[in-house]
Amino acid sequence: MNRSASVVTVVLLALVGVSATYVLQRSSAPQIASEQRLLDSRKLLDVLPSGYYDNQPLEQPLTLIDSSLRHSTLSGGYRATRSGQTVAVLLRSRSEGYAGTLELLIAIDANGRVLGVKTLEQRETPGLGGHIGEWPNSWLQAFIGKSRTEPTDAGWALKKDQGQFDQIAGATITSRAAVNAIHDALRYFDEHRALLLGNGQ
Amino acid sequence: MRRTVSLLMLVPLLGATQTLSAALGITLMLGAVLGAFAICMSPLRDRLTGTRTLLASLTLAATLTSCADIVAQRWFLPWQQASALYIGLLALQCVALEYSGLFREPIAAIFKRCTLFAALMLLIGGLREILGHGSLGRGLSASWQGLVVFPEGLHLFTLVPGAFVLTGVLLAARQAWTRRHSVIKETHRP
Repeated sequence: MNRSASVVTVVLLALVGVSATYVLQRSSAPQIASEQRLLDSRKLLDVLPSGYYDNQPLEQPLTLIDSSLRHSTLSGGYRATRSGQTVAVLLRSRSEGYAGTLELLIAIDANGRVLGVKTLEQRETPGLGGHIGEWPNSWLQAFIGKSRTEPTDAGWALKKDQGQFDQIAGATITSRAAVNAIHDALRYFDEHRALLLGNGQ
Repeated sequence: MRRTVSLLMLVPLLGATQTLSAALGITLMLGAVLGAFAICMSPLRDRLTGTRTLLASLTLAATLTSCADIVAQRWFLPWQQASALYIGLLALQCVALEYSGLFREPIAAIFKRCTLFAALMLLIGGLREILGHGSLGRGLSASWQGLVVFPEGLHLFTLVPGAFVLTGVLLAARQAWTRRHSVIKETHRP
């Protein structure tokens, strides 16, 4: 085969390759996006027990006012409902951990009790504070059922700070950040209960 | 060249075999991409020379790998996200294998090698899952939770260094095995 014919072959191959990839990418983009959304929502929503809600909480984000709290900032919220009734509010809370931002998803039921807490993002020391990123997480499970009034404000601290919560071994700052963030979220929920629960209640 | 290729094949062997299902996925994908690559390259190989063969094989490998990646994203997104790095590397392996002359060998030899490599991938994937997670076959199907062997595994084997250690142990075992069966009985010297 002479030179020009082989160049044509290579160019043709490149064209076919590029267009095939492009067509495939275009045709699968919607499916990939919906798969991605499903995966994201599963990752966020496994903080709630399955069957607890029947809506798509991530489709209806809440608009939060005064979201800058004492120890943390709320970056978003979602409402989970069951047959029209709000059963839980999910709050995304960002606070400063030991080595960087600590982002928690805190699920609070309609009575103001913690339903579950999940770490969405953390940069804590692996092997120490990094344990907070594991899921399921026995340390974060200790917060389930707690509310703003139970324990009292003084009790919302680590045992080291005369509170009632254990800390993750070797990670006081991480644990303190998490306790404060959860307490902040509960206080915010109490103060904005009507807005967060909506008209369904 | 052969050494470079073996080193390159070590990457998915160690990196993409955390569990049996991950190993099975990357093995199937490697098989599909390599197969399609070999078929498409066979008419081109004799017609092109030098740089143009390299260009053609590069384009072909890149096309096939990106198409396989998109297909994986569409149907196996969780697995794809865990192994994305190694899927991208498949293109390089195609080109390297092409240059090492693997595809010029007789078809039976190619087939034997690929089967051996696939078996090794699955063996390492299975052993790492048993040792690292204490279970086998988790994630292979949605309805089956996998066979639980131990309640808890050794965390080391879920990481790449653990895979390296395991590969070393397997190699040593093979060495010991072949030596025991091939050593000629030592003769006493006067």
